[in-house]
Parts: sequence; structure tokens; C-alpha cells
Amino acid sequence: MAEESERGQDRLDPLVRSAFREAVVVSLIWLSAMVWSVGVSWWLGYGRSEQELRLVLGFPEWVFWGIVVPWVSCAGISWLFAVWFVRDGELGEDLEDADDLGLGG
Amino acid sequence: MWQAWKTGLLLGQQSGDVPQVGSGAMLMLVLFIVGSLWIGVLANRAASTGGFMKGFFLGNRGLGVWALALTATIQSGGTFMGFPSLVYSHGWIVALWIGSYMVVPITGFGILGKRLAQLSRRTGAITVPDMFRVRFGSPTLGLMSTLFILFYLSFLMFAQFKAGAIVLQLAWPGGGDLALSEDVAGISEWRYHVGLLVFATTVVAYTLAGGFLAAVWTDLFQSVLMFAGVLLLLVACLSAVGGLEQATLRSLANTGPGFVFGPGYSADGSGQQFLPISLAISFFVVWIWGGVGAPAGLVRLMASQNTNVIRKSIYVLSIYNLGIYLPLIVICVCGRALLPNLAKSDEIVPRLALLTTADWPGGSLVAGLILAAPFGAVMSTVSSYLVVLSSGVVRDIYQRLLRPQAPREELRLAAWVTMILSGLISVAVMWSPPEYLQVFIVFSTSGAAATFLVPAVMACYWRRATPAGVGAGMVSGAGVVLFLYLCGIMGWSPAQSIGAAGGFRPWFLLGLEPLIWGLLASSSSAVLVSLLTVPLPAEHISRLFDRRTSAEGEAV
Repeated sequence: MAEESERGQDRLDPLVRSAFREAVVVSLIWLSAMVWSVGVSWWLGYGRSEQELRLVLGFPEWVFWGIVVPWVSCAGISWLFAVWFVRDGELGEDLEDADDLGLGG
Repeated sequence: MWQAWKTGLLLGQQSGDVPQVGSGAMLMLVLFIVGSLWIGVLANRAASTGGFMKGFFLGNRGLGVWALALTATIQSGGTFMGFPSLVYSHGWIVALWIGSYMVVPITGFGILGKRLAQLSRRTGAITVPDMFRVRFGSPTLGLMSTLFILFYLSFLMFAQFKAGAIVLQLAWPGGGDLALSEDVAGISEWRYHVGLLVFATTVVAYTLAGGFLAAVWTDLFQSVLMFAGVLLLLVACLSAVGGLEQATLRSLANTGPGFVFGPGYSADGSGQQFLPISLAISFFVVWIWGGVGAPAGLVRLMASQNTNVIRKSIYVLSIYNLGIYLPLIVICVCGRALLPNLAKSDEIVPRLALLTTADWPGGSLVAGLILAAPFGAVMSTVSSYLVVLSSGVVRDIYQRLLRPQAPREELRLAAWVTMILSGLISVAVMWSPPEYLQVFIVFSTSGAAATFLVPAVMACYWRRATPAGVGAGMVSGAGVVLFLYLCGIMGWSPAQSIGAAGGFRPWFLLGLEPLIWGLLASSSSAVLVSLLTVPLPAEHISRLFDRRTSAEGEAV
């Protein structure tokens, strides 16, 4: 069973493998962004009174640390991810003239 | 005169002395219409090489970086119409509501992009149902997904026709009202009908001419104009209010602490919580996975040129989103400081455009641009729905079921007839529009994502997924979302005081958005049923997942 699985991995198209790995990393980035953004916003921005308002560059403190900073960070991470992590690959040619029906037709 | 106009705007009054921007907005709309028709002609030339189906419905798989980056995710007319109203009404908390857009570029392209583009080539798929049909070797699954797409997109398209007609109606010189909402009253009915006919004729004409590429290029056109308009308005608003700190403090003074803290401001004092923490988490899921699973977005990923384009689209869209959404929030907070008591919050962007550019040289054109841009967004949204709808009818029903041997000219005629009929039906349905379409838009968006996200992920990455499993995932995801919306609309759910105000809301079971429950039902049933049913033949799976020799195109 394990051997069969290894053989399957050997045959697997490299683009499928890299796309899956990238999808997993992207999902982790999404999860981290959510924990940071919602967590910090809840910690600094919920259930407060007017007297507790603190501004950072004109933003309420929770907006600056919970939204602006992670948003700018995510733009940077997206650039790094696209430039350094994502692998280019051959998508392949279309199977047939699309005016005809495909394999399921 | 100008001072009186500005004072009138500041008080949110409809004064007879208040000059209207109608002629400026109408000029920009006419330019949009002419520009869109021209784009349709250009797209027609570009798509005419090769086979008709791939050219007309998929742009010959030739989308480049800008076209893919700025048009493949979930921006639409609503982004620039309903969203500013929410910020004006509920305050800074809307930044958290939309905060997940910080990762939309990386998730929109990084989760399914590369693999879906490859899979659509390996299966020869032109449409999303095509892809499911071939990937799972199941005509039933293909037909089922076609019917789901036709169902959801019909609701979405009808609503956009109404929105397009309203924008034209309001931009009529001397029209008076600036709101872009559904409940505009007091404007003559004939303007709405003329607007509806002009809108329908324009959008059907250029989509008919250019198909998929026309939809994508008009989308790109409006996205670039909107970016310029938002940045201009940001500068104008910050300068008018004296900086962001002043904007926050003055808007706080004009409202209450809810405007600067969670769960958000509620003007009627009803205690309605716009964004309790459960919904904040929900929207981090909804915007991301709703975007990844949207059928119109999946088609654009299938049309991308190569992996390099998908990769670059990630950071192009990151910069675009950063330049649109945070500035829009700042603009609307400035709006609450400058125009504290607007009767209709939908008017905030047009009113700010009029107010802050009044003294600029050529200011009326800038205001016209900002007022007209939502029209472009609505047009391009309708155009892309028309393409997906007609591809569903022509490819998945007419060609598959009725006329498998239909020649190219017959397919082209079928596509045109479908688009014209869709336009006529939309005009007929919207001639006397129902009052509350927004709920159908939200339902269709959530429903489509709950139906297609899990099946699309499984199609791309899980060899063991079976047609029965994926079908179960589609039906259960759609069923759960429909049930929760019905519970909310029919009053079967317990009273709730969370979410945006309004009479038509779903049941937020345990405080969570229906899409989350839909995705849970879809994924669990799809996995369970797949494991309980017979797997697809190994050769079939190998052809779609394994490496191929370049010489014979066969799996090795």
C-alpha cells in the first residue's frame, strides 16, 4: 500500500504537486491574517469607551494595528510569495478543438 | 451661489438652488457607453481566431496580468455602491468587516489558479460545468452544475439590470436625487424605463460583439478609472476635513463611541450590533472562500494565459486592493465629519465628490468620473454574467444535449439568441422591479460559493473524490444556505440583533454566516459520500493528475 502510494507520488505531475503545496501555504497565511486581524481588533477595539480612544496616524489604535499593519504586511508577503515561492510550470495544450465536445460528451 | 450649494450639501438638503451634476455625470456615462461598444468591437477581432467556443466564451485562454488581476475576484458594482454606505452608517468597524480583502489576491489566485488552469486544458473545458463533467466523467454532474449556475446567475443579473437603470435615471440632467440605492422614490418612472432600455441595449450589444473578452476588458477599463477616482477623492476629502485625525474626531463627535469601536455604530439606538466578533470571523471566511468558489471567477482562472500571469496577478491585485479599500474607508469617515446627517447614506460618495471638487479646475469632470464609475462596474458585471449564462445554455445544454454536431455558425447564432433573450427577459422582469433585490444578491453569492467551492477544490486536488460525493457536496451546500435564508426571511428563526439593519436577513445560526454552515455541510457530505462510493477508474484519474509525455500526450 505504501509502495503504491510512493509510486503515485512519483507519477504525480510536478505542477499539481507545487500547486497543492502553494494552496496549503496560502491557507496558512489566510488563517494567520484572520487570527491577527480579528484578535487584535477584538483586544483593542471592542467594548471600549470614548475616553479610551487612542489614535495612531489618525486611525483608531485598533484599526492601525489590527487592519492597516496586517494589510500592508500581507501586500508584502503576497509579493514575496509570488516572486520567491510560486513555481512556474507548463499548463499544457488544449486537448482538442473546443468547438467539438470534450471527453465527457 | 457655489457657497449656497456647498452649504446645502453640508446640510444634506434638496434645495432648488442646489446645482446638479447631472450633465457631468451623463457626459461620463455616454463616454463609458461609447468606450464599451468600441471595446466590444476590438474584442470581437481578438476572439475571432481559432474555434468559436474557446474564442467567444474563454478569450482563447489569453488573459494577461492586468486583465486577470483586476477582474477575476469579487469586485463588482456593489463594491463601490453599498460598501461606502456601510462605512458611513456603522463607522470604522467596517474596516474589520472588509479586512479579509488583505488576503483576497493571494487566496484568489494561489489556491486554485494554477491547477484549475491546467485541469481545464487537460479536460478541454470551456465552462465550469464542462470541467466537472469531464473531471468526474459524469454528464449528470455537468448538467447539475449548469442548472445551479443558471439559477444563481439569473438572480444576480436581474438585480444588476435594475442597478444599471437606476444609475442612468439618477444621472439624468436635473434628476435631483443622488442615491444609488434600491428605494429611490420621487423620480419619474419614465426615466427608469429609458435607463433600463439604454442599459440593456448597450450591455447586450457589446457582449454580443466581443463575448468573454469584451466583458473582461470593460471590467479592466472601469477598474482603472475607479482606482484613479478613489485616489483623487481621498486627496480631496482629507484636504477638506484637515487630515485623518480631524476626520476621526469630528465623526466621533457627530455620532458616538460606536463609530470608532466595535461592534459598530447604530444611528437608531436600537442596540443592533453590526459586527459582533462571531460575524467578524464569519466575514473573514465569507469574502475569501466566497471569492474562490464564485463560478464567474473560476472561468477567468481557466482563461489565464500561463502560470507566470497567475503569479504576477497576485501582487498586482495586492497593490490595487490596498489602494482602493483602505482609502474608501478613510473617504467615508471624512464624509461623516463633513456631511454628518445625510438622509440617505448611499449618497455619501456622490455628495462628497460634488462638495470637495467644486473649487477644482475641471472639478465637474472629476465628480462626473466618480459618479459614473459605478455604472461601468455594473455594466461589466452584467456582461460577465451574460457570457457565463449563455455559455451554460449553448455549451452545456444546446451542444451537449440537443445538437452535438452543431457547426460553428449555428453555435454562434445560439449564443447570440441566448444573450438577446437574456436581455429581453431581464428587461421584462425589471420593468416593474421588486423592491428588495439585495437579499437575492447576497443569497446567490453565498449559495454559489457553498455549491461550488468544495467540489472545485476536490476536482483539483483529491484523486479519491467521486461524482456521487461531489454531487452530494453541491446539493448539501446549496440546501443549507437556502434553508438558513428561508428561516430568516420567513421569520422561522429566533429574533437576532446582529448584522446590517434591514428586514430581510438570514438566520445567523450561533452567530455565524450561512456560508460557513453551507461549507461545513458541503465538505463533510462530499468526503463521506466519496469514501462510501466506488472510486473513478485509475486510468481516468491518472490522465488528469499525472505527468504526461510531450510526444504522445499520455500519462506515464
